[in-house]
Amino acid sequence: MKEDNQRKIFHYLKKKKIENFIGVPDSTLKYFIDECLKNNNIIITTKEEEAIGVATGMTLSKSNSLVFMQNAGFANSISTITSLVKLYEIPLVFLIGWRGYLSDDAPEHLKIGQIQPDLLKLIGLKSQILTEKNWKMKCDWAIEQIKQKKSCALVIRRMFHD
Amino acid sequence: MIRKEAVSIIGNYVGNNPAISANGFMSRDLFELNDKESNFYMIGSMGLASSIGLGIALKNPKKQIFVFDGDGNILMNLGSLVTIGSLKPKNLIHIVFDNNSHESTGGQPTSTSQINLEKIAKATNYKIFVVKSKTKLHSILKEIKKLDGPIFLLIKISTSKERSKRVSWEPKTIRDRVIKSLEK
Repeated sequence: MKEDNQRKIFHYLKKKKIENFIGVPDSTLKYFIDECLKNNNIIITTKEEEAIGVATGMTLSKSNSLVFMQNAGFANSISTITSLVKLYEIPLVFLIGWRGYLSDDAPEHLKIGQIQPDLLKLIGLKSQILTEKNWKMKCDWAIEQIKQKKSCALVIRRMFHD
Repeated sequence: MIRKEAVSIIGNYVGNNPAISANGFMSRDLFELNDKESNFYMIGSMGLASSIGLGIALKNPKKQIFVFDGDGNILMNLGSLVTIGSLKPKNLIHIVFDNNSHESTGGQPTSTSQINLEKIAKATNYKIFVVKSKTKLHSILKEIKKLDGPIFLLIKISTSKERSKRVSWEPKTIRDRVIKSLEK
């Protein structure tokens, strides 16, 4: 996703009362993360599960939180999502960078990239893909989900090679 | 001192402050001895009590937050010490009940008898305290209530055959009680 849209997404979500941005960096999301850094509104944790824990504590304190990660980190987080986020119904927004979306991405990303849509469905985490055109609408969808006390995921596809 | 005895003593100092307890026997002991609306009983997500505690601590600077952690639990999330130590929440009291074992799964050993957990915590900016007796625990608890955190209290406990009942609250009820108590 283009730099300016990634930066706009941060401000848009902030305006919609997402107060905390917590996670582990991912190059697919780097401009979004850079905007969190510039605005001094970020906690970078050592692992994705830790980020989910911190976000849970903040959400229990009635402060809406987003957890960002690469899909490798999403794979790390499955047990935490099933036994904390889904079990207690903690309304978090996940922002996931989809490595392995392109079939010729680096080899370590291919398997998880391939099974990610199925994994999301299996654990019951509703997700939407953000594009240059639809991101506002999809962010609104995510805000609506957490208003209804449901966790959800926004996904940004890795459309380039480096 | 067994975990239940230590939990019972600490309960008198927690008052209505938030407490986050690790999964397994830790949450069961806290539930049986000192059930309160302000307790977040973690029943899954092993390792994350300290991270949930950090999130609550950062958003509730006027409350003191007590994390009831175990050695197996903290070993699974040593990275949280780094994050907590870098953010330095003044209101976080991180208690680790160390029996050198995964008692909830049958008493298999952890490696805490071979290393110094408190030195790891010290290296990550915690104020550290190590306690082995009930008398010492009482005096340290009085002391740390007045100190700025993050505080790491390592309590060396022995294993025990005593078993507390399972947490009977539904997870959503635990969530709602904690949200309500944090609003006060």
